[in-house]
Amino acid sequence: MTRITTITPRANKPTNSWSAWLGLAPFILFGLAFELLPLLSTIRSSLTNKGSLTLDFYRQAVEPLFLRSFINTIQLSATTAFLGVVFGTLVAYAIITTRNRFVRNALTALSDVTTNFGGAPLAFAFIVILGSTGIITMLLKQIGIHLYPNFRIYSISGLTIAYLYFQLPLMILLIIPSLLGLKREWHEAALNLGASTFQYWIRVALPILFPALVSGFLLLFANSFGAYATAWTLTGSDVDLITIRIAALIRGEVQLAPELADALSIISLLIMSACVIGYLWLSNRAKKVNA
Amino acid sequence: MKTRDIWRIAVITLFLLFMIVPLIATLIFSFSTRWDRTLWPEGLTLDWWKAVTSHKAFLLTLKNSFIASFATMLGLLALVTPTTYWMKLRVPKSKPIIELITTFSFGVPGVVLALALIRFYSKIPLPIINHPAILVAACMVLSLPFMYRPIVNALEAIDFRVLTEAAQSMGANGWAILTRVIIPNIMPGIISGCLLVFSTVFTEYTLTNLLVGTRFKTFPIYLVEFTRQDGRQASALAVISFIIAWITSLLIIWATSKGGREATHIVGR
Repeated sequence: MTRITTITPRANKPTNSWSAWLGLAPFILFGLAFELLPLLSTIRSSLTNKGSLTLDFYRQAVEPLFLRSFINTIQLSATTAFLGVVFGTLVAYAIITTRNRFVRNALTALSDVTTNFGGAPLAFAFIVILGSTGIITMLLKQIGIHLYPNFRIYSISGLTIAYLYFQLPLMILLIIPSLLGLKREWHEAALNLGASTFQYWIRVALPILFPALVSGFLLLFANSFGAYATAWTLTGSDVDLITIRIAALIRGEVQLAPELADALSIISLLIMSACVIGYLWLSNRAKKVNA
Repeated sequence: MKTRDIWRIAVITLFLLFMIVPLIATLIFSFSTRWDRTLWPEGLTLDWWKAVTSHKAFLLTLKNSFIASFATMLGLLALVTPTTYWMKLRVPKSKPIIELITTFSFGVPGVVLALALIRFYSKIPLPIINHPAILVAACMVLSLPFMYRPIVNALEAIDFRVLTEAAQSMGANGWAILTRVIIPNIMPGIISGCLLVFSTVFTEYTLTNLLVGTRFKTFPIYLVEFTRQDGRQASALAVISFIIAWITSLLIIWATSKGGREATHIVGR
């Protein structure tokens, strides 16, 4: 049996009609149900007290107790983001200037894999090497360096090292395309004009890389700001980070007004999404400049 | 020339040490009798592995993690594939809205997502609070970008419009076009997406802990419990976790490299 159908091309032209938008309804409903509505309801509840509009909960959220958690989190995020940007760029440059293709690919693959490591297993691995009876701790003891009690892996400085484990590879992956965009001729031109390699880096390469470095910093900052699992596994409630505080409020370990948790959440959300939006804006701009 | 090589080798060696020592150390730790007084393990043993794998909860939590991962994967496939195709074909104007929904989780800390879902769904009479279903929904939000990106890239690499028209001229309906023409052509993207979602959800801790806690114990929850009780057995669990992460990541790298080639191959044909 043969069947001949003629189809009018109208059926697959881009349109703006209602029926075409209806095809997206399941997806948009999903976004409403699990993203927008829960978020709006949290914003609303953080702004209302017994039915009237108030900023009380935000005032409480920036009292010294919670301000401390925000400052700790921002410090931790800024430190790991900064170290991640510096060392990540350095390692990325070492990777792309390696002549052996296999080594280059293997190192990029390693970054790809390890940037997704995090949470409990990573935290535990750092306890194994840098805990009070950890392997590195003992190795250093043999040569006369006593890490403990000045350093503790279960503290902010310990967390900084653990976070670098996923920050470093993320930066490497982010910056490699920008480093590959630096043309060899620019370096040669600078040298021909009498500049030293150091001057080339300071006056030519770094200004070109600057937007990529800043956008990398913002993404790394957000990455660390929202992290919870690694910190919780490593330190329990010992370290005063904002995500740890919000989680304690959710679990009901601390008895406070639920609206306070809402306000803390909304502030964290604003900080983190500002970083992500900044990152997206800068990296889109970089793409347009390159194109 | 020589000094440049030396700094490069030094930087790469330090990087490798930092990335690999924690993993190797955890692996050796899980096989050693005692390793807290001496530089090298005092002896080797399989005891911790035997002990940790013999708990009933071991297989149960692995199973739960697989259930959560596959449920999220299927949910996202059903949601993202038709939507992306429809958006590209008929409503390109909707792209900003779709991408806003997709990238939502990048800007929201996990604890905030969990809090918002709990606060909202405890107010409305839908019995999904504390139920694994809310975990799957949250994991879908979390891993949406990982499913969306590879599928959009794969769609952009093929001439979906021509393929659609060709299929229509042979009398195929919308469903047949999607399942028999478009999906086979974007398979590499779908596979990459599924693997990325799997590796995200399988290691997910924050949302699981806050949304369902001990009511639906997954592998990471089990692991954290052990880090507080028995470090030796926890090290074996951490090694399993690392191995699963390595395998999925290597499969992703393999799938993306293959995907690139296949996509160009299809376009060329």
